[in-house]
Order: sequence, then structure tokens, then C-alpha cells
Amino acid sequence: MTSIGTGYDLSNSVFSPDGRNFQVEYASKAVEADGTAIGIRCADGVVFAVEKIVSSKLLVPGANKKIQTIDKHVGVAYSGLTPDGRHLVDRGRSESYSWRGLYKSPIGVPILADRLSGYVQAYTCYSSVRPFGVSVIVGGVDKSGPHLYTIEPSGAFWGYMGAATGKGRQAAKSELEKLDLPNISARDAVKAAAKIIYIAHDDSKDKDFELEISWVSTSETGGDHQFVPKDLLDEAERLAKAEDDDDDDDDDEMDED
Amino acid sequence: MNTMFAEQFNEPATNHSTAAPIEHRFNPYSDNGGTILAISGADYAVLAGDTRHISGYSINSRFQPRVHTLPGEKPLIVSANGFSADGETLVRRLAQRVEWYSYNHNKPLSAKSCARLIQTMLYGKRMFPYYVATILAGLDENGRGAVYSFDPVGSYEREQCRAGGAAASLIMPFLDNQVNLKNQVDPATGEPKIATDLSLEDTVKLVKDAFSSATERHIQVGDYLEIKIVTKDGVSVEYFPLKRD
Amino acid sequence: MDHMPENWGRPRSDVYGSYQHAIHSAGPQSHTQVPSITGTSVIAMKFNNGVILAADNLGSYGSLARFTDQERLIKVGKETVVGFSGDASDMQYLESMLERLIIEDNYEQDGHNFRAPHIYEYLSRVMYNRRSKVDPLWNAILVAGKKDDGSPFLGYVDLLGITYSSPCIATGYGAYLAIPLLRKLVSEDEDAKNVTEEQARAAIDESMKVLFYRDARSLDKYTVATVTLDGNVKFDKDVRCQNMNWRFAEGIRGYGTQKQ
Repeated sequence: MTSIGTGYDLSNSVFSPDGRNFQVEYASKAVEADGTAIGIRCADGVVFAVEKIVSSKLLVPGANKKIQTIDKHVGVAYSGLTPDGRHLVDRGRSESYSWRGLYKSPIGVPILADRLSGYVQAYTCYSSVRPFGVSVIVGGVDKSGPHLYTIEPSGAFWGYMGAATGKGRQAAKSELEKLDLPNISARDAVKAAAKIIYIAHDDSKDKDFELEISWVSTSETGGDHQFVPKDLLDEAERLAKAEDDDDDDDDDEMDED
Repeated sequence: MNTMFAEQFNEPATNHSTAAPIEHRFNPYSDNGGTILAISGADYAVLAGDTRHISGYSINSRFQPRVHTLPGEKPLIVSANGFSADGETLVRRLAQRVEWYSYNHNKPLSAKSCARLIQTMLYGKRMFPYYVATILAGLDENGRGAVYSFDPVGSYEREQCRAGGAAASLIMPFLDNQVNLKNQVDPATGEPKIATDLSLEDTVKLVKDAFSSATERHIQVGDYLEIKIVTKDGVSVEYFPLKRD
Repeated sequence: MDHMPENWGRPRSDVYGSYQHAIHSAGPQSHTQVPSITGTSVIAMKFNNGVILAADNLGSYGSLARFTDQERLIKVGKETVVGFSGDASDMQYLESMLERLIIEDNYEQDGHNFRAPHIYEYLSRVMYNRRSKVDPLWNAILVAGKKDDGSPFLGYVDLLGITYSSPCIATGYGAYLAIPLLRKLVSEDEDAKNVTEEQARAAIDESMKVLFYRDARSLDKYTVATVTLDGNVKFDKDVRCQNMNWRFAEGIRGYGTQKQ
């Protein structure tokens, strides 16, 4: 960040003279330091994918999932401080749980995103708390169809056809723009998502990562949020790796030229 | 006299017996039949029960075991017979307490202490009792067989043998005579016979005979007999078919 | 002079007015309701590859056939079916409890899923705890599915918290009318190994027909659910009683309009 807070960055509830809330901007820094997470809104659902950086070889493969389920029909992926994300997911679960208790029906995704963003926004208003250090991609299928939102540390939430946060978000966004959204099928979106995560991943900076992909789709999962089956994940990963290697080869050739 | 009373004055006097609403009162208890029987010996205790589960005249299940082994290395066996929902609940709560005891104190709960625990749990619901006849069987601190029997609100005592449940009144007099040798006189001396410990084999035979006879005369008893035997080596189980009518 | 001895010694109606029975209902709070919309029997049996169960689609309001498309068999989790008889609102309450239970279980996508014995355990504790508050959920419930070891599971729990398992179980009038027919095929758990799904289905259909003949609160339209040991749940809805013969009805005497 170019400008220094000059004292206006020490508390949440204080604006700087030029109208900025520095604590929120610092929170965004935490997001930018974490692995990439993307969401794709496809024809009849939503696909999530994350690049989960494996910080130690001692961690159990497949453990500490970064994609989570808020309700039957709602999934979530995020970049940033994982515990902050976990807490927000808990909040989302209690919102949707109490909605079911009151209305005997699943909560709508836009309403859930609205309520979660309201919760996040509240953490930018008080000096006793700090903002959430996560950008959250929330998506799912409800009776009005598929929805995808991103909630930022400021509490702003935007609806997307394709969303990306984290380290590789720029590369991921430009790849997402090339897709035929929102007409792409869920199955194709899974393969595209794997490819994008591999493109967004920077080998030189990060060591190992695990690819996590989940989906909510009327045709594929009956409207439930689930991790994609292992064979599909393996296939998507194989295709993504193959393409990634090709790109590397191209680079090599260019070097030779 | 106001007009309301005047109107009521004209009603037939007999009307009120039918005017009251018919109340459908919920009865939180029922009887699920079955019988249990325990006998202790020098180095063993036996607790047996039939596996029939009933409601009214219906047989719900022919095989719903009612004799439970409590958790632990030196297990105790227990059965709470009568209203099965209360019985199952009592036994599972007891099992939990016994397990926690072993974790908290790093030793198994003795039969004597378990008996007192059961009395506390039963009396704790004195005003809304567990509707069950409870029997606990195991080995005491000296390795002797021990049988404790309880009424629904926790009154208990240690005994040589006890029958509980639907056919208790059929089996208990038989036990008095055959285990405690009541009303038996030694023909040589003319003195009442003194009861001694039975062998395990004789006990199991006695249990089978008792249940076969109870099955003949009691409609709520039958299908299978489950006999659980505690010795220093643990709990063993034996099944014996009973009549299914 | 009042010649009715039962009236002697009472406050005289001609002086005080007749006894106001409304006083009876003014008292301490009473939880225990009576069921209003009710469903009749649920029947179920094991066979060599799973469990089959059936319940008709009638929701009765007393003796009135109020709803004729009531679904009383529900799928819970991936491989369990729960069948409800008794009060419909209590059924819907339990249904929503079970749905939320499953949703919470799915938060951790760790491959664990609730099987029939777990759901059965949960329901039995809910039912027993409510009866212990003398505020029961007015239902008799069957839970069908498979155990952790892959064998079939069938259990019963009712408003008193009574639980039991058996290779064939029926609630309500089914206990009198269907059980004898089902036990002809499967009397012991062992017998189920020799009964095919087709045989079991035929016995269930026959039982539902007999129940429709004799249970005045039943319907000839019902749902059959089959849970197989490979974890599949199959629903056959809007099934109709077939080949009915009502000739026997002429011979019924003792109630109804005819006098002997």
C-alpha cells in the first residue's frame, strides 16, 4: 500500500481524511496472500475450486478442507485467514438453520449472501473488532436458480458469473472471462475450474498444493452441494496438468527461439 | 333469578352425565411383558430372561434381548423388566455411569456399589418412577456370585435368587423350594433342610425348567431364553428355545 | 321429590342452575393433545436383499377422509426410510428435525453418513423424552435401512418411547391384520434370507389390500418403499390395491345398518 496510515490505520471506526478505512484495506492484504479460490456459475449450478497451499508435508493429504457446506444447497470457498472464514461459515450455517426452523424451506442464496455481508460489514464499524480477513465466494442453487456472490472484507457483496479471489485472482479472472458463462455445463465448468487453478498457481512461489473442487447442480447433484466424485476430479486434474505442461513446453520453445 | 339460570332450570336434570367432554388421557406407561430370573452360586451368577416383547395381546418381537452386559473388564449384568422404554433407558443411563466411574477412578465399579447406584437412580425418579423390576448380577469383592433385586422406586436387597417381571409370581415359589429348600424336610432327622450353593450346571437346568414352566402358563413369556452367566472369566451367553405360542 | 338417588346430596339444579361442565377444562396447563389429522398403519418386512415397507396416502380427520395424498414414508439421509403413523403435524415436526440433523451431519463432508440405527436411536430418544414430559409426539414410527455391517435393519418406536426390532413389524391395525400374513413368510431373521423382493412385495401388497378391506381409516392408494443392501432406496408411489373382491362384505353382520 502506497500511502501510510499516518495514525488513521489504527482503528476500525476511524476514516482517514481522504475517506478510507485502512483496517479494511489491510484485511484485503491478507486475502491477497492466500491461495486462489474461484467460483463459476454454470447453466444449472455453481462450481467451486480452490488452490489449497500445503504448508507442510506432515499435514494429512485431503484433510483441512477449504471448501465448506453452509446448507444442503449452498457451498462456500474463500481466500484469506482460514479461521475468519470458518467463523463466517458457522454464522452462515446458523442463519440458514434458523431460516429452516422458521419457514420450513431452504434459505435463498441472495438472502444468505445479504445477511452474511451485513455481518461482515458490522466488523468494519467498531473499534473493538477487526474486519474479516477473507474474501468469500458463496454460491448455490435455490428455487430461482443458480447464484454466485463474493463478499469482501468491507462487507460489499457482488453477484458474479465467475469469481476469483486470492493470489492468482488476476490470472484466474482473465481465464474466467474466456469461458462461455453462464451457459457452460457443470461438468465442463469442473474441468475449466481445474485448469484455471493450475494456471493461477505459481510454481516458483509456492510449494505443493491440493486441488479441491465441489459443485451444486440440478442435473449432477440434485441441487446438493458436494465435492465432485473422485474420478471426475482426477480426470479434471489430469487434463489441467497436461495443458499446464503444454504451456510450459511452449515457453521453452519460445526461449529456444 | 337471572335469565341464564332460568334457561338452565328448564334443562333435563340427567343431561350433565353426557355433556362432559370425553377425555383422552395420555398414559405414559405400558407393559411389555417378559420375565427375568437370577441365581447366584459360589463363584458365578446367572441372569436369564426370555426374549419376547409384547403389547397387549400382540407379540411385537420374538427376539428382543432384555438382559444387558454393563461395560468394563469385570462385567456386571443387569435387566430392568416391565415397561421396556423405561427399562432400556435405565440400563443405558446406568451403563454410561458405570463407564464414567471406571474412567474417573481407574477401577471397575463393584457389584455392591453398582447396586447402590441403581437404587439412587431409581429413587431419583420416585415421583415418576421407572416402571420396572430390576435385577443386577455379578461377582462380589470376594469372587462370590451376587444377585441384587430392586423394586421400581429403588428398595433393594442382596439375595440368593430372584425372579422378576410378568411370571415372577409363578417362578418365585418354585425357586423358594428348589434353591432355598423351603418346606423341605430331611427325612432322616426331621429337621428343615439347609440350603447350600448349587453347581452352575444344576442352576442352568433349574433356570430352563423354570422358564419352560412359566411359558406353559403365562402368555407373555416365550420364544427364546437368553441365559447370561458371569464368572471370573467374564460373561458367557447361552440360548434355549421356548414355546412360541 | 327427585327419585334419582345419584342426584341426592348435590346442589339442586332448580336452585343453583345445572352444573357448568366448562369448569372441568379450567385447570392447570395441559400438554397432552389428541391427534387431529392421522395416518393409519405402516407395515414393513425384511427380505433377502433389504427391507420393504408400505403406508397408504390417507390423512384422516377423525372418521373423515380429509387428505388423500398424504405421503408418510420419507427418505432420511442416503439409505434410510422412516414410516410414520399417527398425528400428521407431529410427523412433519419430526421430519424437519431429521432434515436438519442430516444437514448438520453433512457439514463435515467426511464420508460419514447417518444409517438407520443412528436415526432410530435419535428418534427413540426424542420420543422417550417427550413422553417423559407427558407431552408426547403422537406417532408410531418404523425405521428401515441397513446396519453398519451391511445387514438389514428394521425398528419400531412409538409415542411412549417403546422400541423393538423384528423381521416384520406393523403399526396400528397392521399389527393385527398384516403381521400374520407377513410372518407366514418371515418369522425369524433367518427366514428373510429365503424371501425374494418379489415375494416380499406380493405379501406387502396383499397386506395393504386386507387393511383396506377392514381398516375403516385406510385408503386403496399407497406408497411402497424398498431399501436394498447396496444402499439404494426406491419409492413406488400411487400404488393401487389390485384384484379386490368385496363379495365378503354382504356377509358381514353385527354393525352397520342391517339388523341380522
